[in-house]
Amino acid sequence: MAEERETILSVRNLKTHFSTGIGKNKLTVKAVDGVSFDIFKGEVFGLVGESGCGKTTTGRTIIKLYTPTDGEVYFKGKRITAGTDSIRQQLKDTKKEGKNKIKELKEEQKQALEKSSNPEQTKAEYEKKIEEIRNVTDKEVHEFKDEIKRRKYESLKDYKRKDTKDLMKKMQMIFQDPIASLNPRMTVKEIIAEGLYIAGESDQKIITEKVNEVLETVGLLPEHANRYPHEFSGGQRQRIGVARALIVSPEFIIADEPISALDVSIQAQVINLLNDLRDEFGLTILFIAHDLSVVQYFSDRIAVMYFGKMVELAPTKELFKNPLHPYTKSLLSAVPVPDPDFEKSRERITYDPSVHNYEDDQPELHDIKKDHFIYCNKAELEAHKKELKE
Amino acid sequence: MAEEKQYKLKVEDLTISFRTNQGMVRAVRGVDFDLNKGETLAIVGESGSGKSVTSKAIMGILAGNSVIDKGRIIYEDQDLTKIKEEDFHKLRGDKIGMIFQDPMSSLNPIMRLGKQITEGMIINGKHLKNRKKALYQSAQQRYYNAKSDKKQMKIDYKQAVADAKENGDTSKLETLKAEFNKNLAKQKEEIKVARKAYFEKRKEARKIVKEEWANEKAKYAEKIEKVKTELKATDDVEKQQSLKEKIEDLKEQRARYKKVTKKQAKERAIEVMGEVGIPEPEKRLRQYPFQFSGGMRQRIVIAIALTADPDLLICDEPTTALDVTIQSQILELIKRLKEERDLTVIFITHDLGVVANMADRIAVMYAGKIVEIGTVNDIFYNPKHPYTWALLSSVPDIDSADRLMAIPGTPPNMLFPPEGDAFAERNEYAMEIDFEKQPPFFKVSESHYAATWLLHEDAPEVEMPKVLKDRLAKMKSASRGVNQ
Repeated sequence: MAEERETILSVRNLKTHFSTGIGKNKLTVKAVDGVSFDIFKGEVFGLVGESGCGKTTTGRTIIKLYTPTDGEVYFKGKRITAGTDSIRQQLKDTKKEGKNKIKELKEEQKQALEKSSNPEQTKAEYEKKIEEIRNVTDKEVHEFKDEIKRRKYESLKDYKRKDTKDLMKKMQMIFQDPIASLNPRMTVKEIIAEGLYIAGESDQKIITEKVNEVLETVGLLPEHANRYPHEFSGGQRQRIGVARALIVSPEFIIADEPISALDVSIQAQVINLLNDLRDEFGLTILFIAHDLSVVQYFSDRIAVMYFGKMVELAPTKELFKNPLHPYTKSLLSAVPVPDPDFEKSRERITYDPSVHNYEDDQPELHDIKKDHFIYCNKAELEAHKKELKE
Repeated sequence: MAEEKQYKLKVEDLTISFRTNQGMVRAVRGVDFDLNKGETLAIVGESGSGKSVTSKAIMGILAGNSVIDKGRIIYEDQDLTKIKEEDFHKLRGDKIGMIFQDPMSSLNPIMRLGKQITEGMIINGKHLKNRKKALYQSAQQRYYNAKSDKKQMKIDYKQAVADAKENGDTSKLETLKAEFNKNLAKQKEEIKVARKAYFEKRKEARKIVKEEWANEKAKYAEKIEKVKTELKATDDVEKQQSLKEKIEDLKEQRARYKKVTKKQAKERAIEVMGEVGIPEPEKRLRQYPFQFSGGMRQRIVIAIALTADPDLLICDEPTTALDVTIQSQILELIKRLKEERDLTVIFITHDLGVVANMADRIAVMYAGKIVEIGTVNDIFYNPKHPYTWALLSSVPDIDSADRLMAIPGTPPNMLFPPEGDAFAERNEYAMEIDFEKQPPFFKVSESHYAATWLLHEDAPEVEMPKVLKDRLAKMKSASRGVNQ
């Protein structure tokens, strides 16, 4: 099955850091700190975690609302955004290494000169060596600098090209708060059609047609097009947000907590809508949420994030059957269930990050089972393997 | 209820509207419930169903454009809809505490937490002043009542005159006027007497309290003097130090007789903060709200409500803005506090999953009315109202993959409340009568009532939705498995 699946988005070691203050007050918040995953075509990929763990930042970095500090994002095989931090580090290291080598050689040269019988020749020899190292370092440095330039400006330059534009149209986002994310001074039609205008569509007839079509798809009526957002209820507003994302016929949608601002009875409407759309258009969805019961219902695979790191990634059934990381366990134990008897017997597990001893054994994302990844070190991996149920 | 239980709070036929430019918004339309001592009642409903308005009415903090059309809220033999704002000060906070929805916006961002927690204690803690007020309060009340009676008399007279004019009873006007004048003169005399009595009483109260304070001061002065002479006599540095401390202590005690001192309030704040699970309270007191996470901020809000030792706690969606893990922590905290302090709790939420472990009884509200009320087991295992069915089945289940049952449409506009059952338009089981007449409460069991025509004896047999039925069956078997 794995061979058939086509990767639509792959994220490699993505890091997004925010820094505030200068000098000794400088504070770097590592919102996302090394996240890697692949999303396959047609699946719903759930991203869960508590607030502040970086799940929204991940989504926003993927759609290029933030610039990543490091790492790369590939969408349909093309790199759409990349950070330069690791390259800069490599560049620095190379420079330092070259300098150190030259320094050593100079020391050696000094000593050799004192002993040597033929100073002229030794000097020339050493000069040659130093020159060589200098050349190699310079070449490497140039390469790195070029790469940084490419990463920084390539996407910008590319954006003006039509194929990149088309590519980015294939990725859309649904925002969290349906009240704050719709401009109150624009009519529904203007809000929905904005994407089309930007994409270069100028024929009013086609725009009206498309807007009406998409409104019907999300369960609203064409006559709603000329109203303003405040005239709609929360669920309907979120439908407008969905319509806005759908108008440019995307293949991949990032849904950033689309239902957490809605009432329970309305939540079900929006989830059903997303589910229908996924069946109808074969959409791939990155579903960001903190409500596990909803994610479980809706997603094919789930990634659990904790403080900028991805701690566990597994297919939904597997994750609920075999939660391995202590944080996942604590998260699963906190989901409220509308069943008093169950609730009374429930025991909540608290997660204490100090249970891990990562001092000499660094943790990594390990493949514990097919499609089941966990962030741990080698000793923990063994323990987890024993715990694994079939 | 057959057996007489000791109720803490009783709400009878409460009806609240809001004046707006478009007309009257009927937010609450006749809510009845009673709350027993030490019980947790959960009010569940969508936003706009009137659950927050009900709780605000109990706290007496309704918005300015609200009108309580009818109904009573009885708390300790007082009707909270009628009592004066002055009297409400004694209840609000002290007896009835409230935890607000959004911990981000209910704390002052530019005030240190210590000040926010102790503020209420210090303002309410002026013992001598309070005692003085209590002494002359009855006289004051009589004076105010006499004044308001006079006002009422005038209004009544005008009304009577207008009525008489309308009916063409001009002959009656003379007698009315004479009677009014007579009464007015009598009332004026009464006001005069009441005023005099009030002023005298106030003077007296001032004197009493002043004397009391003077006595206390003299007592402490004597003690302090004693220590001071002792202090002069010794040369030992250590002893001097301890004696100085003793003087400070005595001064503090003296101040505490008069009011709640800052030190006392701080001690209490630290105690309460420890109780709600905030580590290092001494350090945390000096910090600002932005230095706290969402869950910690909600703990602070709870601590503020608890400083005054309320016995009725209203929690208005305390966990809606929080994450799942933090949410369960806060729920556990409220549950623990309830047991430790023997609190009576009203818990407002829109998430049925949240209250399963918290509540003893649940009231489901829709469009300003309670549609179903019963114990937790009644509501979760034997729901009767279609709205409760819909609420229960719209929550995704941990191990079901069926399509969710969404409630179609939106809640009705309360500017124009529907004539019949408010839920009829969104209800697939609605019958003709649902659109015409409001259903009364039908009794399901001793503790369980539901307002739906489906329970009427002439109604056709209707099964609850299959999704829900399956789930209930599954729950039952699962919980039985746990019990075995």
